[in-house]
Amino acid sequence: MSRHGKSEKAFVRLTRSERVQHAIMFVSTTLLIITGFMLMGERSAVDLLGAAGKTIFYWRGIVHRIAAAAVTAVCFYHLYYVMFKADGKSWFRDMLPKPRDLVDAYQNVMYMLGLRKERPRLDRFTYLEKLEYFSVYFGMFIVISTGAMMWTQSYWPKFYLDVADALHLGEATLAALAIIVGHIFAVHYNPHVYPMNRAFIDGKISETLMKEEHSLWYERIIAEEASKPANGAVGGRGNA
Amino acid sequence: MCHKYPGLGRYEIDAKKRVVKRVFYVNEDLHQASYHGKLNCSDCHEGVDKIPHTGAKKVDCGKSCHVIEPSTGKVFSHKAIVEDLKKSTHGVEGSLSKNKDDLPACRDCHANKPYQLGFQGQAKSMAFLQVCHQCHEEQAWAERFFRHVTYRASIRRPSADVVKLCSKCHANPGIMARHKLDVIAGFQDTYHAKAIQYGDVEVANCLNCHAPYALGFSPHRITSKRNKKSPTNADNKRATCSQSGCHVNATKEFATGSKVHISPVKVAHLMEESEESADAARNREIFQAKVLHWIKLFYQILIAAVIGGLGGHRLLDLYATHRDSKKEGALR
Repeated sequence: MSRHGKSEKAFVRLTRSERVQHAIMFVSTTLLIITGFMLMGERSAVDLLGAAGKTIFYWRGIVHRIAAAAVTAVCFYHLYYVMFKADGKSWFRDMLPKPRDLVDAYQNVMYMLGLRKERPRLDRFTYLEKLEYFSVYFGMFIVISTGAMMWTQSYWPKFYLDVADALHLGEATLAALAIIVGHIFAVHYNPHVYPMNRAFIDGKISETLMKEEHSLWYERIIAEEASKPANGAVGGRGNA
Repeated sequence: MCHKYPGLGRYEIDAKKRVVKRVFYVNEDLHQASYHGKLNCSDCHEGVDKIPHTGAKKVDCGKSCHVIEPSTGKVFSHKAIVEDLKKSTHGVEGSLSKNKDDLPACRDCHANKPYQLGFQGQAKSMAFLQVCHQCHEEQAWAERFFRHVTYRASIRRPSADVVKLCSKCHANPGIMARHKLDVIAGFQDTYHAKAIQYGDVEVANCLNCHAPYALGFSPHRITSKRNKKSPTNADNKRATCSQSGCHVNATKEFATGSKVHISPVKVAHLMEESEESADAARNREIFQAKVLHWIKLFYQILIAAVIGGLGGHRLLDLYATHRDSKKEGALR
């Protein structure tokens, strides 16, 4: 358990749709990373598989394609979600980078270095979360387009496929490392949430963590609640 | 007679003045089980009727044997294959290399090894052999004939072995330099090579593209891509890629857009060559290699920057949190 008690007030961090999107993304990305990097494995490691290698290799390709199709579907759904759904629209609006993010980043680094007394007060999405989120757009554009090319390889000139292969590998390496160094740290090893930020399961964020990490957002919600006293749901988006 | 004694052998000085060990011991059981188990020593080794064998000649794989080839009733010989090889890129006549000294001979690829069937194949053949024995009295003959057929019906050399065999010369920079050829370093990075590594038997090995039986070629008739009829000639590559149910929809661009196995060594060579020899194909190859290099470099820099930045930020965060918790503790 994190040091934030269960009994305190909680806010909605992720809606049900967002959690389902995350779950599909999480499972398929994990599968994609494993089955993809199996092609880059050390020879000696592959030799250990022995006679089973052939079957494993066969399924490797199939699993990679199924997971790729799932992740592509989620990406397109997410685009629909942020364009046409109320929750999605507010999500995207809050996610858009603002000049304020640069100030936040600068102030936070100064604080961490001990050159500033207090952390900057952050809104719903921190500058790192925004960076991570839009990196996924860039990354997905690269891996989905190059992956689709390799899936339909017979129709492309070989050199385009070489380029697609190089981009696919480079982007996959970047994404895999970013997930490990960036995302897993943020949601597991971050001392505020260790051992795990449970938002991806129950979608909730505690009041303490809200105040610590998203104080501007917290104040916004409290103000909204105050102006609409009839709204009984916890959180700012009405569907807990 | 003498050759049944293990240890029979001697040290010799070969043509290149190196000391080599020659073993003259022949294990009779192994010989019996081998491809040539039915042949007598003198069928291949000519001039050995006197002891000591002063008149012994080098074995000529193209000579006629005393075996009758059953389909024609003629005396059997590997002569046709020897002739094929001679005319191929690996042979004295067909080779485009000025250096004809170290072209491969039969024995560089073939050993007179015992038939090796897979475990399952062996179990099946042993049961099936009983059927053969009903009519064919001579058991050893029946077994050899049976193995001759079943062995060829299965994959004789797994792809990994084919790659290893070709690499004996084609991955040797010394030999390749003598023939002004390129080492096949790039093959290991291809999808074909990765699949072979995992033991996939469907995927193409060297011979499936350079000597496809399906297109009327054989490993003994490999030709340079400069030969118009070669399966690796630009005009024929589409057919080569789409044979045997592989890349059935292959377009000409897919087959000829770039090298199947790109070699960084070759590109380095091309770039060193003088400007006068510049031609479109060479420039295209250099350009393609550069593009791939730029992509790699771009991602190396991006990964170093992003992961370094993220990691640094996270570490700094840990440090700050640690510092704060100490401060909090001191206040209490």
